[in-house]
Amino acid sequence: MRPPNQNHWKSHLFRYEVLLLLVLVVEWLVFWHFGTTVNRRGVTVGFGTVDRQFDILRHSCEIGLLALALTPVILTAGIDLAVGSLLGLCAVIFGQLWHDAGLPVWAAAAGALAAGGLGGALNAGLIARLQLPPLIVTLGTYSLFRGLAEALTRGAVTYTDFPAGFLFLGQERWLGLPVQAWVFAGVAAGIWILVHRTMTGRALRVIGFSPEGARYAGLPVTRQVALAYVLAGFIAGLAALIYTARLGQARADAGTGYELFAITAVVLGGTSIFGGRGSVTGTLLGVAVIAVLKNGLATLPAVIRLNAAEELSGLLTGGLLLGVLALGAAPKFLSAWRSRGQSRRQPALPPP
Amino acid sequence: MVNPTPQPVQPLLVFANIAKNFGAVQALRGVDFELRPGEVHALLGENGAGKSTLIKVATGAHAPDSGHLVLGGRRLDALNPATARALGVACIYQQPALFPDLTVAENLALRLEPAGAWRRVDRRARRVRAAELLQRLGADLAPDAEIRDLSMPEQQLVEIAAAIGAGARIVIMDEPTASLTQREQERLFAIVRTLRAEGVGVIYISHRLEEIFALADRVTVLRDGASVGTHAVGDMDAAGLIRLMVGRELAGLPPPGGTVPGEIALELRGTGCAAAGVGSVTFAVRAGEILGLAGLVGAGRTELARVLFGLTPADEGEILREGRPVRLDSPQAAMAHGLAYVPEDRRRHGVVMELPVAQNITLAAHRRVFRHGWLSAPAENRVAAEFIARLGIKAAGPEAAVATLSGGNQQKVAVARWLATAPRVLILDEPTQGVDIAAKGELHRIIRELAQGGLAVILISSDLPEIIGLCDRIGVMRGGTLREILPGGTAAPVVMAAALGTNEKEGAA
Ligand SMILES: Nc1ncnc2c1ncn2[C@@H]1O[C@H](COP(=O)(O)OP(=O)(O)OP(=O)(O)O)[C@@H](O)[C@H]1O
Ligand SMILES: [Mg+2]
Repeated sequence: MRPPNQNHWKSHLFRYEVLLLLVLVVEWLVFWHFGTTVNRRGVTVGFGTVDRQFDILRHSCEIGLLALALTPVILTAGIDLAVGSLLGLCAVIFGQLWHDAGLPVWAAAAGALAAGGLGGALNAGLIARLQLPPLIVTLGTYSLFRGLAEALTRGAVTYTDFPAGFLFLGQERWLGLPVQAWVFAGVAAGIWILVHRTMTGRALRVIGFSPEGARYAGLPVTRQVALAYVLAGFIAGLAALIYTARLGQARADAGTGYELFAITAVVLGGTSIFGGRGSVTGTLLGVAVIAVLKNGLATLPAVIRLNAAEELSGLLTGGLLLGVLALGAAPKFLSAWRSRGQSRRQPALPPP
Repeated sequence: MVNPTPQPVQPLLVFANIAKNFGAVQALRGVDFELRPGEVHALLGENGAGKSTLIKVATGAHAPDSGHLVLGGRRLDALNPATARALGVACIYQQPALFPDLTVAENLALRLEPAGAWRRVDRRARRVRAAELLQRLGADLAPDAEIRDLSMPEQQLVEIAAAIGAGARIVIMDEPTASLTQREQERLFAIVRTLRAEGVGVIYISHRLEEIFALADRVTVLRDGASVGTHAVGDMDAAGLIRLMVGRELAGLPPPGGTVPGEIALELRGTGCAAAGVGSVTFAVRAGEILGLAGLVGAGRTELARVLFGLTPADEGEILREGRPVRLDSPQAAMAHGLAYVPEDRRRHGVVMELPVAQNITLAAHRRVFRHGWLSAPAENRVAAEFIARLGIKAAGPEAAVATLSGGNQQKVAVARWLATAPRVLILDEPTQGVDIAAKGELHRIIRELAQGGLAVILISSDLPEIIGLCDRIGVMRGGTLREILPGGTAAPVVMAAALGTNEKEGAA
């Protein structure tokens, strides 16, 4: 039996997740209702088809992976703006290792993952060891990684013609689901365990709440923060492989702007940008809400007619983020407002 | 309610039947209280009795659920902070809330000058005003000093100066002496007496009965959120107050001695750290021994503890654990060698406010709750339950955030965290600050027991009776180094003189 009002922020987070789930369900039903049509040949098209649902799953895996990578980082009150750029760099490195260096595809893939880890390690070294602010460091590596990717390809080369065995990762199904969905599920489970069931996860939270408190508690602050950034880089490398396999090509501009979608998903999922508070479940819900919105809009006849899916999805994602955050903060605001009302009943005071 | 000396004067502040709940927790359930002008009115009660909550009702931080208050001759159901300030209520908190990067004068100006973005800033007038206020309080503080360079008592002085400057008629002090040394305490008392002479009403919260007898005119005792009586201090003795507060008699602690210390657990040979401002410290603690460290604030006791715990690693001399030289260059290394450190600053270092009680308790003892890095919820609950029971931590439950606990209970959590690691050398830095008399006695008994079980304890405390009553030997620090070691039970004035450096036998250690 748990008395109410215990551990305030956790129950708050739980309420918030329920709210998010509600948003997701409503969103999904709306698109199912308005976005599903029967075409002239009598075939059901649009949102309400299995293919479309799988499409959503496929499209959400890469941003979803980045969001999972960012969750531990943001829990430490850090940020990683470079994951999208690193995705691009890893994709290019993968293409070069396979195409130019002639490595077998598995070795090239391992190389791309290692590159991701190294990129993360660069962030980690600057942030955890040299104590530089994460926002500035990753703003720097954000440009650095993308620039490197462009330099490696001279801005022009696109690597294609990957073997079918590799494309399987991004374009086929396994046990009824898109292959990358399994990878995503595996990473999600791993991050969930890391954040909610291990010492590292608890250390990350404590560091987010109070780095000094963590140090005095004897937690290895430097090592744990470094781990979060290295892990993020590694997952960006994984996302690069999936991205390349889905599109069948590796280019320097792969994953441009993904970091912002990923951060949006994490924050929408209820993780506090100030660190400490948050959950992997929330991140997953955030990713789902954004992915369904983006893809669902493209199935609405009105939107198709206007050819405005991109613009609308940006608009609605932003509105949704602000709206859900405001709703989540509503209880606190209401109680503050109520107590203000109480004190306003006092008689007027003379000037002091 | 007993009112021993009814007077015709109009009270400054009256609480009538105030109640306040936090969810299921009844923090206050019917408190009556009255503050007169020119009196020091002590508020006494166990940890979690509701003292701080009552104060927050007076400052407008909390609105009571029922009851009313009378302030400035007006009957009010609730206050907001601005109204409370306007009616002359000022509170000196346990942790001064000043801007660390600004100077004393600037901080005072922020409190005292009217706000307004386009107001002209007259730096000279600010400084003069600050100097005047500080002088009125008899405080020798430079108006240009930055707050971050000031000690806690000095910051408190700034707070008091701000309150006086704002024309406060009611000054509330919530455990102002929790980390003050005797001399700083005397200085504070002198200031409180000045306030009283000026007709200010002072509400004074402390767990130290000596202070209440030395300073207060009347005392109101709270028990479990209700007031159980107001008395003139002259009519009461310590035993009587304790009975009112706890509902029973307390057994005293037997004097130190009686245990035979074992092997040397920790030895320092000329240890120091230039960055921390401590140098050439030499002493040894044996297993089973309690070594006290006395000294003034700034004598280097906390700094030495930080060196030993690897927070500012030593760069001079040697440290030996059980006879073997060790490098304690990180808290992890110190922990691996069996050291534990309960820090002085509870809020910033001792506990993580947002984390639940249970996780705070197990945070350093993660090996006991994470098997191969994997969380075992039953183990966590077991360890937490054990220490909640052992230290009598009062909380809504093990899942309650530490921020919702009373100050004394937060302190117990900070101590529990390190007891849970089963250390071999335990460094305690002001372990009983803000802890009530009954719990303090209990904590002393636990420390004694642990020492008898073979633990080496280094006890830093500004509470001289605590050091004298508990420690087998008393090291005295001054100017960043250990000056001498006195036997346990040394009379307080002798220890004081050593701390001040006014006695002649130097370097007896
Ligand atoms: N914000 C809060 N949320 C929930 N419970 C609270 C909150 N603040 C105080 N409490 C509870 O109210 C009770 C009274 O707390 P309070 O801080 O007033 O005690 P206190 O008398 O000041 O104790 P101490 O001597 O330890 O400082 C405690 O049980 C505490 O846990
Ligand atoms: Mg209190």
